Amino acid sequence: MTADTPTRARVLVVDDAATVRLYHSSLLTGAGFEVSEAANGLEAVEAALGASFDLFVVDVNMPRMNGYTCVETLRSETVGSDAPVVMISTEDRPGDADRAYQAGANLYLVKPVAGDRLARIATMLTAGRDAA
Amino acid sequence: MGLVRKQAPQQPEEVLPEPPDTGTLLSQLDDPDPDCRREAALGLVDVAEAVPELLARVGTEEDPRVLESILTTLAARDTEEVAGGLAVHLASDEAVLRTAVAAALATMPQSVPALLPNLLAAPDHDVRVMTAMVLADLPHPEAHTWLVKMICEDPHPNVVTGAIDALLPSATAEDAQLLRDAVERFPDDPFLRFTVNAALPRLTGTA
Repeated sequence: MTADTPTRARVLVVDDAATVRLYHSSLLTGAGFEVSEAANGLEAVEAALGASFDLFVVDVNMPRMNGYTCVETLRSETVGSDAPVVMISTEDRPGDADRAYQAGANLYLVKPVAGDRLARIATMLTAGRDAA
Repeated sequence: MGLVRKQAPQQPEEVLPEPPDTGTLLSQLDDPDPDCRREAALGLVDVAEAVPELLARVGTEEDPRVLESILTTLAARDTEEVAGGLAVHLASDEAVLRTAVAAALATMPQSVPALLPNLLAAPDHDVRVMTAMVLADLPHPEAHTWLVKMICEDPHPNVVTGAIDALLPSATAEDAQLLRDAVERFPDDPFLRFTVNAALPRLTGTA
């Protein structure tokens, strides 16, 4: 890599469903992001303690640590990440999005999310951030 | 003169404290100390009369560790009373609660099957998505059959993708056509198409 080559923004995809992780990772890798994966909130927090990310894409319903608690922990002094968070869930009840924003998410999307839309959102949210 | 073995001094028997009785344990479920509530929940594992009290606390307990202990104790009974009392929380707005309940139900193969007709027909599609999560881990010979039913019949794409995700670890070449049919039913769902396209080569031996 030369000095002129910008570092690719790093995204952590957090979902207990392997197929969903594969889907979101493929979309984001195809859009030029460097993608890591975590299978639940606890793994995500551990990953965020060990590395810096420019964006988190987080599911809601996960074992061990659900998405809301995961985002709250990412925002807490324990981790202290200010990177944007997109929460993606099957849940579309009134109040689900509010709960996500209270936890510290920047955006709440309902599955399924079209590939080009997720890539556009990720590009927009990571624009201007110094890549990790 | 022969040697005379000296008698070892008698050790006083260790006196173990009496375990708390059922009444004490039930009252400790309301203790302000979460560790005390957690111990009480675990201590009630063999007490049938505690089931209604424990079920009543599933929706109100706010400490995740205490909730986990309550669910562990309840799931160990694996009765229809417990399964029915837990299943209502699959519709909860609290992610912690609904995912914890789904995990508990997935350990109850004796009693969950009786609930499935109602769960698969639940008007709230999110409940059906959670049901797919239960079936993903339920150690029951019919789990695969119920997932196939969801994939073939459920009208909501998120339920179908949840069921497919649950089925894939145990899917075989025989399931390939039902996955293709699911894509045909929901041609505008990009995730469903991606998932099936990613899985088919492995199932059909063309990977």
